[in-house]
Amino acid sequence: MQKILIIEDEEIICNELSALLENSGYIPLILKNFKDAKTEILKLNPDLILLDINIPYMNGELLLRDLRKSSNIPVIMVTSKNSETDEVLSMSYGADDYITKPYNPNILLLRIFAVLKRTTTNSDVINYKDLVINMQKGIIKKDHKEIILTKNEMIIFNYLLNHQNKIVSRDELMTDLWNNNEYVNDNALTVNISRLRTKLKDIGYDDAIQTRKGIGYILL
Amino acid sequence: MNIKKYLKDKLYVIITFSIIYFILILMFMAFKINIQVTLVSSILLFLFLVIILTTEYYKKKSFYTNLLNNIEALDKAYLVLETINKPNFYDGEILYQALYEINKSMNEFIKMLERQMADFKEYIEIWIHEVKIPISSLSLMAHNHKDKFDKKTSEQLKKIENYVEQVLYYVRSENAEKDYLINKVSLKKVINNVALKNKDDLLTNNITLKVENVNYEVFTDSKWLEYIINQIINNSIKYKRNINDSIIKIEAVEEKDKTTIMIEDNGIGIPSTDLPKIFEKTFTGYNGRIKTKSTGMGLNICKNLCEKLGHKIYAESKVDKYTKIYIVIAKNNFYLV
Repeated sequence: MQKILIIEDEEIICNELSALLENSGYIPLILKNFKDAKTEILKLNPDLILLDINIPYMNGELLLRDLRKSSNIPVIMVTSKNSETDEVLSMSYGADDYITKPYNPNILLLRIFAVLKRTTTNSDVINYKDLVINMQKGIIKKDHKEIILTKNEMIIFNYLLNHQNKIVSRDELMTDLWNNNEYVNDNALTVNISRLRTKLKDIGYDDAIQTRKGIGYILL
Repeated sequence: MNIKKYLKDKLYVIITFSIIYFILILMFMAFKINIQVTLVSSILLFLFLVIILTTEYYKKKSFYTNLLNNIEALDKAYLVLETINKPNFYDGEILYQALYEINKSMNEFIKMLERQMADFKEYIEIWIHEVKIPISSLSLMAHNHKDKFDKKTSEQLKKIENYVEQVLYYVRSENAEKDYLINKVSLKKVINNVALKNKDDLLTNNITLKVENVNYEVFTDSKWLEYIINQIINNSIKYKRNINDSIIKIEAVEEKDKTTIMIEDNGIGIPSTDLPKIFEKTFTGYNGRIKTKSTGMGLNICKNLCEKLGHKIYAESKVDKYTKIYIVIAKNNFYLV
């Protein structure tokens, strides 16, 4: 499991963020000692940092610039200032992404996921049991049999696959689809999921995607 | 300066002169002074009067005409003092001095107001950043504890967020300073951000969002453009018609020298009498009155932001058919930093 370090001086936000991250299957860490932030970060060695711009002793941008001299840990800047200047500055100091408060929790999770994925793996091919999935082409292969998924089905399958064995809410799937410029509605989501199920059934995965009533879906 | 009015103003001089002249002539006659002497002194006296009056007239005329012309020509009339020379006659000097003092005190007053404005703006910006912290906390709490917060809480939170943002952009749009940054921006990304922001609203209102042909890059401030498009989408949601196939369509057209973004809805539309006024400050119009409480600020802020960025914004509409808002972004990398 990946460790995510929260650097934020608002206690409530810290706690809620760590609850959010924990529920999504990450290990949240909270930075307590702002005075010696850099050494602390290097000691904790997280997989990703959520860095607020307004922190005590030092400002987030300076910390980032300092950190970048010795480490390439992915950083997402979190701020309540929404001006282009801040964003450009943060990115030029080496932030991997930038998000403004108040953020939508699902979008924050998507951004975290995207940054982690970009920095860890770079292959388009993923495996699921004995299936080989090519994300870019939208193809699932089993032995010599190939099935082709539409873009929407691929986005949904990809999301479920990345959260395998965890319950995924409809809203999360919806957010992911919208994030990928597919502005579908509730019905379309239902239709896409049932089509995906039929396609998986064709290659022998009958009950791969299960419905948890009132909560969401789970890929087993 | 009008010569007639000037002479009228100097009437007392002429009258006094005439009376004294009349007395003089009577005295000349009483002492039986030679007619030639009388004639010569008369001519000299008249000459004296004419010279005095004309030199004064031309002196004043050159000063006041200059003053009035410059006031006319300047778009900030209060700067006129800088453009004229100090007059060389006494009452002119008094006027000049008075103007100088007035100007100085007004400048001080303006400076003070400007400082107050700047302080106020700074305070508002800080306040907004601060108020966003509890809003963030609340939205995280609502997400983490779905059992305690229902969906309505999130909706209300989103409203608060929108109103807070409106203040921020109002302050930014009304201020003379340049606090934006023009950059090459992906239109697709901006629209995606707006779509994500309004996802829940669009889904619960059963509105289909169609985005076509937006894969362009434009020169703008991404945050500002995001705010503008968001505002327009909010209006489209607010003023939707009660039909089953509500649609908001976003489309862009790229031409040689500009990119035009069109945002079209099939909502209640805007009456043609209201259409020319929708971008005016605090204009609410027919729709604003019947539908919901409207501040009449949203589109005005959009327009001001567009003006600052050098974009054009205009609308077309037909009642109960459609509203189309166009944003025209010039393709000029002149602004690029």
